[in-house]
Amino acid sequence: MEHARHVFRALLVLVAGGAVVFLGRGFLVPRSYGLYGHYRYDNVAEQMNAHRPAHAGPQSCTGCHAAQSAKWSSGSHKTVSCEICHGPLAVHVTDGKVSAKMPVDRSFTLCARCHRKILGRPEKFPQVVLEQHVQGPVEGRVCLDCHESHFPKL
Amino acid sequence: MEATKMQPGAETAGAGAATGDRSAGGGSRREFLGDAIRLSGGALVFLAGSSASGSTEPAPKTKAEAYNWEEHSYAYLIDTQKCIGCGSCVRACRAENAVPDGFYRTWVERYAVGMEGSHVDSPEGGMDGFPPLAVGFTVTKSFFVPKMCNHCKATPCIQVCPVGASYRTKDGVVMVDGERCIGCAYCVQACPYGSRFLNPSTHTAEKCTWCYHRITKGLRPACVEVCPTGTRQFGDMKREDDPVRQAIEHERVEILQAHLLTEPRCYYLHLDKEVR
Repeated sequence: MEHARHVFRALLVLVAGGAVVFLGRGFLVPRSYGLYGHYRYDNVAEQMNAHRPAHAGPQSCTGCHAAQSAKWSSGSHKTVSCEICHGPLAVHVTDGKVSAKMPVDRSFTLCARCHRKILGRPEKFPQVVLEQHVQGPVEGRVCLDCHESHFPKL
Repeated sequence: MEATKMQPGAETAGAGAATGDRSAGGGSRREFLGDAIRLSGGALVFLAGSSASGSTEPAPKTKAEAYNWEEHSYAYLIDTQKCIGCGSCVRACRAENAVPDGFYRTWVERYAVGMEGSHVDSPEGGMDGFPPLAVGFTVTKSFFVPKMCNHCKATPCIQVCPVGASYRTKDGVVMVDGERCIGCAYCVQACPYGSRFLNPSTHTAEKCTWCYHRITKGLRPACVEVCPTGTRQFGDMKREDDPVRQAIEHERVEILQAHLLTEPRCYYLHLDKEVR
């Protein structure tokens, strides 16, 4: 009987310890953890709704800018999405309403990113060596003074 | 021998002391232990109940009504011959995901290769295009290579995460749970493609999610959306008519650092031996 009591005491400590572990685990492990693997499943939904899509594609522009869209889609820049030059739609429209003016970039960099002749670009892609293209000083010249960006003549 | 002889005596003495205690303490220890057992038992039952309800509750709640991740298996295709190095993808990624300055979820590298050597540059991730390049050798070929997270199937970044913050979804996207991440940066070191970084304001790991907030709504990732040349393509391997799946099935596609056996889900067309 004496010995049984010792065993009982040891068991008691074990059970109490186990309870503490389970209790701690219940508090520390997030609810959806382990449903599909060693991660918190709730985060999948959180990532899905992390924020609203900022880019909406060129089709979202036609509603209000039909004339520009038609011009653009018939020219050689038709694969260049509006948002590449103008920025994401989210800057311009919030909840279906115009929230701010779309920035218009007329800088040299805008065109140079694609069309400046540099090492790396595919040979067939239209590229310009500025020094050969314009007369006089090159610095500060703006391509868009002569070229129409929505319907470029090449 | 003496020690074994001593033990029973010592034990009886101990037991005597214990009985003394019991009589003095009025059974308070027994009461306490009894209460503790009942408490912990109750807690166990409570926990079992809460965890059981937890496993059934969130599943239908968090799964978006229209989206079922079992129906998709995403893949990404990059045709390096088409890339003109405009950096639109890098800018779009920045605008879409509020990527902190100086860090990149996707970037574009320029390779200039000759018989005497090779040179790689990526000024600001290629965000504003590339400047003219002068290297000390004759360049015989040069090209751009867009880079990003490869969303590997057997990825080392998930393996090393000590808190289960990095994971791969059933539709094949590797993501980071910012709430779980402790910012130890093991994954940043483990990624052989350099596609992870620690966000300087949240101090948690961050990476490309293939714009999970977009693709689960049927949209393409922002970088694919703006790519003017079709260099970047995003597809679903569970759709038989998908152009990306068609290309992966029928063309000779390559992956980056195949020797590491990470099984990337970013495939490349027309890759060069110099590209790592």
